[in-house]
Amino acid sequence: MAKTGKDKAGIYRQTLLDGLWRENPVFRLLLGMCPTLAVTAAVRPALTMGACVIFVLLCSNIVITLMRDLLKPHLRILMFTLTIATFVTIADLFLKAFQPEMSEKLGPYVPLIIVNCIIICRAEVCASKNAIAVSVIDALAMGVGFTVTLCVLAAVRELLGSGTILDARVMPRAFVPWAAMGMPVGAFLTLGLLLGMVNYLTGRKA
Amino acid sequence: MFRLKHFLEQSWLLIVSSFLFGLLIAVTNAALSPRIEQNRINKLNDRARALLPGVERFMPVEAEIVIKSGGRAERIDVYKAESKPGECVGWTFSASGPGFIDKIELVVAVDGNFEKLAGFDVLASSETARVGDQIKEPFFREQFVGAPVGDLIAVRSGDTSAKDEKIVTISGATITSEAVVEIISSSAKQIKKELQKKGLIGDGENR
Repeated sequence: MAKTGKDKAGIYRQTLLDGLWRENPVFRLLLGMCPTLAVTAAVRPALTMGACVIFVLLCSNIVITLMRDLLKPHLRILMFTLTIATFVTIADLFLKAFQPEMSEKLGPYVPLIIVNCIIICRAEVCASKNAIAVSVIDALAMGVGFTVTLCVLAAVRELLGSGTILDARVMPRAFVPWAAMGMPVGAFLTLGLLLGMVNYLTGRKA
Repeated sequence: MFRLKHFLEQSWLLIVSSFLFGLLIAVTNAALSPRIEQNRINKLNDRARALLPGVERFMPVEAEIVIKSGGRAERIDVYKAESKPGECVGWTFSASGPGFIDKIELVVAVDGNFEKLAGFDVLASSETARVGDQIKEPFFREQFVGAPVGDLIAVRSGDTSAKDEKIVTISGATITSEAVVEIISSSAKQIKKELQKKGLIGDGENR
């Protein structure tokens, strides 16, 4: 049965909200933990990583949704990986050409987007089963949800670890930077506390 | 015949996609590689300029300089640093070798006579943060300034201010420190020989 315009709008809204909050990749699904922990020492690299993930998610979801009727079930993961690897390589080349310092700072974490669970998860769960409009909204919502989460984590760590946000001094001169925040221990600590806070808030709401 | 048909039926999408995706990457790479290469040269020059103050320009050495690195022949781009046209104040080149975690890439500067090192800087390294990564710090790098071009020796303790062939390794990062000493020592020595062979610098006996 054909879906009415109202049904479609409802699906789009649900897909958007799922990506941004209800199924937020970091806070709710706990996917993509490697970049979440590794590149959130400051906001700028977190933002760049988020932009790369949005680009790869969007391109891979579009390609996979277009070829979904041609996919052989036993070869689908291979096709997903091939598609994702292509767009990650392109994103990496663009970063090297136009943001060489950031590319160097992010190091291996950009090529590692290939194995980011969020992207392969969205290819399997959404893009290979839905039409292009839903796949695009899903990619944008999941990508933005991931980026915002990364930036929140990075903002806390950068603020406490160096007293700055986006390299601009925010804390008073008397503030003593908490060096641990710039190290892996700071990432685990902040992520744990934020996850606890999100669970507490959503639990109370329920 | 049946097997081939079955294989093509199952994998045609994979084969076609691999070809198209490969083409897409090749086109992107061809379009962006000049810019990426220019970024690399700019970075090399910026770092080299900090090592050789007062340099006006870096002229690439046209002669092919090939050295042995890790058992393989490697072509090295050597630049002549000039304070004004024709006046050589030093030489720079990039050299690389295996570190503790991954490849370490350095830019090395030497004086005009290729007798003493003017210093080095790190272009790329994935060494452990706050451990092997300390090769970027001035306290380690300054030991190389004024050290002779030749066999450098990595030692565990000694005088870090002495301008000699002994380089004191970083505590806790001995392998990385030794790797840097080896990269600089081996590449500078071989490049010096190559430049002498090509008559670009004196052989040391004429001076």
